[in-house]
Amino acid sequence: MESASHLSIIIDFSPQQWHSSSSNSDQGPFSLASFLPQLFIFLNAHLASQHENTLTIVGAFPGKSSVLFSSNEASTEADADPKLYQPFRTVNAAVVQRLSEELESLPESTDAPIALVGALTKSLCYINRLVNPQTVSSTTQNTTLSSAISPRILIFSVSPDLSASYIPIMNSIFCAQKLKVSLDVCKLYGPDTVFLQQAAHLTGGSYLSIHNRDTLIHYLMICFLSPPAVRQLMAVPTEDKVDFRAACFCHKTIVDIGFICSVCLSIFCKPTPVCSTCRAKFPMKSLTRLKEALKPVLPPGIPEPSPIIDSLPDTAPALTLPGGVGMSGGGKGKGKASQARGGGQYPPLHLGPMGMEGPPNGMHHGMPPGGIMPPGMGMGGMGGGRPGPPLKKGQKRSMNGMPQGMMSGVGMPPGGGHPQMDWRSMMAYPPGTAPASTGTTPTPPPPSR
Amino acid sequence: MAGGSREIKNHALIEFLQSQTQNVLHRLYTRPSACLAIVRLMSPFERQLVMNLLWLEQPLETKQVTSWVTLEGRSAYEAALKTLALLHILPNSKENMSLHSSFKTGLRNGLTGSGDIESFGVPALDVGFEPLSPEELDVYALERWDTTLHFMVTSGTGEASAKPSDGVLYLLEHSGLMRNDQGRRIINSEGFQFLLQSPHAQLWEFMLSYLRMMAEREDMDMVDILGFFFTLSMMQIGQQYSNETLSPTQIIMVADLRDFGLIYFPEHSTTVFQPTRFATSLTSHMQSISEAESKHEDGRDGPHGFVVLETNYHIYAYTNNPLQIAVLNLFVAFKTRFSNLIVGTLTRDSVKRALINGITAEQILSYLVAHAHPQMKKNNPIIPVTVQDQIRLWELERHRVKGQDGYLYKDFGSMNDYEVVVKYARELGVVLWENGAKRMFFADAAGRVLIRNYIERRTAI
Repeated sequence: MESASHLSIIIDFSPQQWHSSSSNSDQGPFSLASFLPQLFIFLNAHLASQHENTLTIVGAFPGKSSVLFSSNEASTEADADPKLYQPFRTVNAAVVQRLSEELESLPESTDAPIALVGALTKSLCYINRLVNPQTVSSTTQNTTLSSAISPRILIFSVSPDLSASYIPIMNSIFCAQKLKVSLDVCKLYGPDTVFLQQAAHLTGGSYLSIHNRDTLIHYLMICFLSPPAVRQLMAVPTEDKVDFRAACFCHKTIVDIGFICSVCLSIFCKPTPVCSTCRAKFPMKSLTRLKEALKPVLPPGIPEPSPIIDSLPDTAPALTLPGGVGMSGGGKGKGKASQARGGGQYPPLHLGPMGMEGPPNGMHHGMPPGGIMPPGMGMGGMGGGRPGPPLKKGQKRSMNGMPQGMMSGVGMPPGGGHPQMDWRSMMAYPPGTAPASTGTTPTPPPPSR
Repeated sequence: MAGGSREIKNHALIEFLQSQTQNVLHRLYTRPSACLAIVRLMSPFERQLVMNLLWLEQPLETKQVTSWVTLEGRSAYEAALKTLALLHILPNSKENMSLHSSFKTGLRNGLTGSGDIESFGVPALDVGFEPLSPEELDVYALERWDTTLHFMVTSGTGEASAKPSDGVLYLLEHSGLMRNDQGRRIINSEGFQFLLQSPHAQLWEFMLSYLRMMAEREDMDMVDILGFFFTLSMMQIGQQYSNETLSPTQIIMVADLRDFGLIYFPEHSTTVFQPTRFATSLTSHMQSISEAESKHEDGRDGPHGFVVLETNYHIYAYTNNPLQIAVLNLFVAFKTRFSNLIVGTLTRDSVKRALINGITAEQILSYLVAHAHPQMKKNNPIIPVTVQDQIRLWELERHRVKGQDGYLYKDFGSMNDYEVVVKYARELGVVLWENGAKRMFFADAAGRVLIRNYIERRTAI
């Protein structure tokens, strides 16, 4: 018997973005007023699919997020209408009412960023409550019922990436993975957002940038209505090109070249003497070497490779670069750690998608390191590489997005207790590489595999 | 899900709809509520296919639709096309695919709330008295339903129980669940099987019998009947609806469905009615009714599961519900009864009695699993293996003796006569048993004519 599904919808209500969307002419104006009716039809279709289907709608406003509708809470009773199925009416009336309240209460002008992360975490908390009802209350809950729910989150995004929210979004992604929630993203307006692309990719959801927004409803029905079980049978379009760049922890900017603390996996845009997250100290010698190492790989005029895996040369997967290509770093002064890795072909490079060095051991970004590794293991380099690599299209990634086997290269060198510092060299993109816009072109429906 | 999907059977009502004529279906699809209800009854794959095609104005090339389907989805896709074609929703075509326009319009209207067909029930305003709360409706519906089931289970035992209304009795007979034996109604073996099904399955079986019965009546329009049925399933519990806009056929249905517990209206009122949870959960999958039931029992009987079965065949049922006790009584020999507990044993005789009534071992086991006490649900498997095996063995015992029609040949005049005839019968391969000392043998009915002719020819010589 098929199970009920829960859908959490997160809508980005950034006033600036919606305003510019409704006046923008190159994609055709698309205002909130033309979006909401199509959204309601989609919500109706979800509720119509099954009697037990549930729905949560969370709005992300500047500086705050709020739940606009939730199936489990009694909401305003709308008058019955013989032409419309009553639950449709209840949802629509509740959303419109709450939304207008929220929009009224918005301050005249605000610089507060859109609370997308707040909305996302609210949805995840809500789903967690649905999936694990026994922790909420001791009342007799039908556990078989709750375990059958297959939850999903769908994000309607209009704002560009907020690089400050990289860490919380990543943590939400790991949380979603743990809860087995897939994140779908529907980009209504504006440039593709790197983080949400990664979110969809890592949770098995679908990222779709809508260009022809008058037929939005059709896109919604085809791509976002089907529960995961049906998606195995009827394909939905997914990104085959994902921009995997990460944001650094120090300035919250999206980086093409990153430097990773090998202890706690924090990402920095520049080599630093001390990891700001875990306080691990790195030796001066390696630091200078790394800074030098940056230069040779940044000569102007190198043809631009893109960070997109798909476009990389289709070579055999290799986790280390052939020596000397695009990287610096010589193998002097390395400790046992490097020797153990064999052969002095040093340093190993961390190739493949940037930003994907999610915590291999379940640690989240920004967390202080666990006691297992003493600080001072040195910094690992990371980067997506020009000469590189290695992930072939369709190649399997491990759960947190790294190629299998890469973990040993990042931050977890063998011989963990070795006191010697060890900078591993960095791999860099050539300059000017990969603006976010080189990213991705979503496959428009109809999908095909 | 992916692997098992090809075995998913269509909903019983979908099969019933497929037996209707194209004309009836297309008139039915003009009602948005019917479209929504049918979409719910479809398998998830069929539903998604319909949704994908719903907003297309132009037909889509079949090739393109096929390209959506993954390798694992092929069989589900083929099955879905077949079902949808039989429902006259998606005409089968090699080149182009497009939903039938009446269904497309109906479903679009259903989702958007446009169109001018009032198919979701007209709410009654200012009726002058308070409607029943959902809880009260649950109590009412379950009481009706329990009365029917209790009547069935106690029929033939001579035990007096409240009689359901004539409409229900007629339907019980018509559906073959009970038979009329000189004025007394006796439960059939189908009826026993019915009793052990889940409430949702019981409800649907009952409703389908009702629809079939209505379909046999010439004076009623199937569109009216099915349309009201779907409207009912899309109504909201607790809301009062007016029956002013209903057709005469539908007014008759309101009265009938009240007997079954799907609809409530007070005695003195003829213009408003309220659907119960039975009606509103018709298109759901299983849970809602048992939910209602467990809610209902919470106050009195504790959680839903109440049966504890031990490896020594003892059964402890924490219930005082006469219906549950009566159903258990079908296959349990009771020993002791307390105010909230009843103790009994599964014995060979008690189980065989159930088997003779037409109940299968599988049904007994699934009933026990469905009503297992939470404490017992922790076991794996829920029912002790010894008991499971024994119940199955008892069932097999019934299949130990196999009957075969045949004739006994005896009183042969001489041993020689006997041996010649037996030899001939053996050559025909029809001898089932022989005993030379008694000059008797038993041969299959198929060889009768040949053997008789042979004997006649021999005596003629």
